[in-house]
Amino acid sequence: MWDALEAIENSGFATWVREAPTVLAYSTVLALHTFGMAFLVGLSAMIALRALGFARSVPLAPMEKFFPLVFVGFWVNAVTGVVLTMLAARSLLSNPDFYVKLTAIAGAVVSLRMLRAGLFGAGVKLDTGPVPLNTRIVAVAMLAFWAVAVTAGRFTAYSWYVRKQSAVAVLVAAFLMLIVRHVAARVFASSNQPLASMATPASSR
Amino acid sequence: MEVFLRQWIEWPSVAAFIGAHSWVWPLCETFHFFGIILLVGGVGMFDLRVLGMARGLPPVALKRFIPWGVFGFTLCVVTGLVFVTGMRSNVPMSAYDVIRTDVFLQLKLVFIAFAGVNLLAFYVTGMSRAVDDLGPGDDAPGLAKLIAGASLFLWLGVIYFGRLIPEALG
Repeated sequence: MWDALEAIENSGFATWVREAPTVLAYSTVLALHTFGMAFLVGLSAMIALRALGFARSVPLAPMEKFFPLVFVGFWVNAVTGVVLTMLAARSLLSNPDFYVKLTAIAGAVVSLRMLRAGLFGAGVKLDTGPVPLNTRIVAVAMLAFWAVAVTAGRFTAYSWYVRKQSAVAVLVAAFLMLIVRHVAARVFASSNQPLASMATPASSR
Repeated sequence: MEVFLRQWIEWPSVAAFIGAHSWVWPLCETFHFFGIILLVGGVGMFDLRVLGMARGLPPVALKRFIPWGVFGFTLCVVTGLVFVTGMRSNVPMSAYDVIRTDVFLQLKLVFIAFAGVNLLAFYVTGMSRAVDDLGPGDDAPGLAKLIAGASLFLWLGVIYFGRLIPEALG
């Protein structure tokens, strides 16, 4: 097995992509992997945010039309992901962090399919009405899976010690941003309301 | 001027902070990517609708996602400034010399500037208002489509050149 992985790394194709003195090899594959991520995660995240009640004026049903591009993003990343794995097969496939990434992607894709069924499946008629709790939970799960997948992808290059520290740092930073957002939303909401309604808690909306 | 820029662009305290705490660089990388996702998701979705995808959506409603894109862009600017000002923690070069010599970083910055000009053009040419008036199923004016296409092209270009920055380092 180890020898097979070594053979893949040393194959002409893998060697060319890794070492060719042109930006059109390694860096372009990496950039395509980033494009795929941007469309796959970016568009599906906006759909999830809409399901969670943000941008509620956006009618839901037509958002399904973005799915073909979401899947293009997925397949671009599946292909470029396999190529990038071939370049460092031994170190990646023996790296627990890499399996965290793959597991998170699997979870995100399953959630994405469930989200699609919950929002656009046969007989679903939501449009601008409220989204059922089940579907909102799926949306949160998908966002969490994507966040883990992207973070674990970034961390594969680092040592176990740095990964552990950085993971805590990402969680703390995300938590701080949520607090800031919550406080800002409350301040903003109360400053925009007529005086009479300021007596009621801003969080009731 | 050069002395001033050299002093101003490089922040030894940022580089020292990155050097002292191993989590700073990967943290910023992660949020740089979260930023890319929100930028392409929020702004790209609007651009795609103007270009004709998911025509059932009124573009004016999709504008509600733009703040997420702006937040993503802000994340990228803040973390990007950490990378540039603290460059010395990663590469034995002054930030000034990196900006002066790395053609891909220069192209990236130029594309960001073009994206800004493009956004300005969207408002100045009246296309923003024209697009606001579109209902479900309506086709956007040609100029609006051109600007939306340019926006997607420029932001993907920014990502592309960003990925190439290490190729021209040192």
